[in-house]
Amino acid sequence: MIKFFVASVFIFLYLPIFYVIVASFFDVKGFTLKWYEQLFQSKAIIVAFYNSLTLALISTAISVILGTLAAYSFVRYKMRSESLFYTPIIIPEITEALSLLLFYNLLSFPMGFYSVLLGHTAFNVAFVYVIVRARLEGFQRSLEDASLTLGANEVQTFLKVTLPLSMPGIVAAALIAFTLSWDNFIKTAFTTGPGFQTLPLIIWAQAARGVVSPSLNALTSLVLLVSLLMAYLYVRLSRKT
Amino acid sequence: MRFLSLPAIAYLLVLFYLPFLIVIFYSFGFPNEFTVGNYEIVTNPIFLKVFLNSLLIAALTTVICLILAYPVAYYIALKSEKKNLLLMLVILPFWINFLLRTYALMTILSPLGMMFTFQAVIIGMVYDYLPFMILPLYASLEKINRSQLEASYAFGATPLKTFLKVTLPLSKPGIVAGVILVFVPSLGEFVVPAMLGGTVATVGTLTWDLFLRYHDWWRGSALSVIYIAIVFFSLYLYIKRAGKLEL
Repeated sequence: MIKFFVASVFIFLYLPIFYVIVASFFDVKGFTLKWYEQLFQSKAIIVAFYNSLTLALISTAISVILGTLAAYSFVRYKMRSESLFYTPIIIPEITEALSLLLFYNLLSFPMGFYSVLLGHTAFNVAFVYVIVRARLEGFQRSLEDASLTLGANEVQTFLKVTLPLSMPGIVAAALIAFTLSWDNFIKTAFTTGPGFQTLPLIIWAQAARGVVSPSLNALTSLVLLVSLLMAYLYVRLSRKT
Repeated sequence: MRFLSLPAIAYLLVLFYLPFLIVIFYSFGFPNEFTVGNYEIVTNPIFLKVFLNSLLIAALTTVICLILAYPVAYYIALKSEKKNLLLMLVILPFWINFLLRTYALMTILSPLGMMFTFQAVIIGMVYDYLPFMILPLYASLEKINRSQLEASYAFGATPLKTFLKVTLPLSKPGIVAGVILVFVPSLGEFVVPAMLGGTVATVGTLTWDLFLRYHDWWRGSALSVIYIAIVFFSLYLYIKRAGKLEL
């Protein structure tokens, strides 16, 4: 009885995702890749793909550096006011998005790639901090003490002991940061400017009218599969460690 | 090397906290003269209707999520032999943006002719928020010491009585966390009602429209400040009860 119920809930959760992916590989005649071929014939989609990828990569790089350094100093020096990093995770995304819109407008900051990038990086910094911090707390402080006792200085200890030990946490954080930026929609919509499109914005422009189409299935599957790939890498990583 | 945290702190102060301060300013009329007039939207009948509608959607979503999630969390925590696999299936949807998941649901609802209704919004909300309910429930059920359940059986309690008197009370922190994690964000949810709801208006769609369609940033800001106040108040209640925030 309960097994049947649990199975039904999982089918409910996964049926739409399977359906959209499978449907994107079919037309009335059977299996086809034509919807994907069509996608990559559209210049707008290629540009948006490039934009989404660049945003996610650069935002991940910046947030991993800033978030990791912050996590390190907060854990090692038992600094307070950590809630600084938790608020961005708790705040509803739409509120964060509109506050950036007002901020950029006040500064007359040009809306486009950089305004979106700075916005994505803000929540990514918070996520990286939380994840790396958990990892740093997980291993023995004594390993660092040993390194210091044996004559390494603080920088050497950080680079040769702390950093390698926290690497699984840093990679996990990078995967999450990449995904959050890659398929982000609300924050991008509020902070973008004329002419700057990402893949989620293109999906939104069509799906908002309630239109379901094979090409949109393909586009959604493409974005979704990249996110799922990141999740898969994350799971593999956490199994190993 | 405390200074290593400075770049991240500075980043969040400038690109998260300062913008939020600006929202508060705007809600009081900035850059024009000071006014509390923007907060008068709460007395506007249209706003009240939208707010009650959101409240109804959020409440229904929370209740349905709780009913669906509890047996799932219970099964994974206490009965399943494939715990890791099922847990992974609960966590995976967290990696996919609501926009994509809601579109995926649209491809099922659309051929069934179920789009643009109140029911479609509820189905979409439950679909998107269900994992947010399962996870905290699982976390609290998982912590239950099996010997407590065995003790209950040993003293002759029926499975039903054991559930009601032992399991359910012990999972209360998970229920409270799940309810907050679903109720609070679903109150301001934008994507689901916008894509599946047709003319269904919520706090989320109203915020979006005030900012991106009507460019009424002042009343939009007031609305956001009210929403944030509700978010923090709920978190405050939770932290007061639970002692700390666990995600």
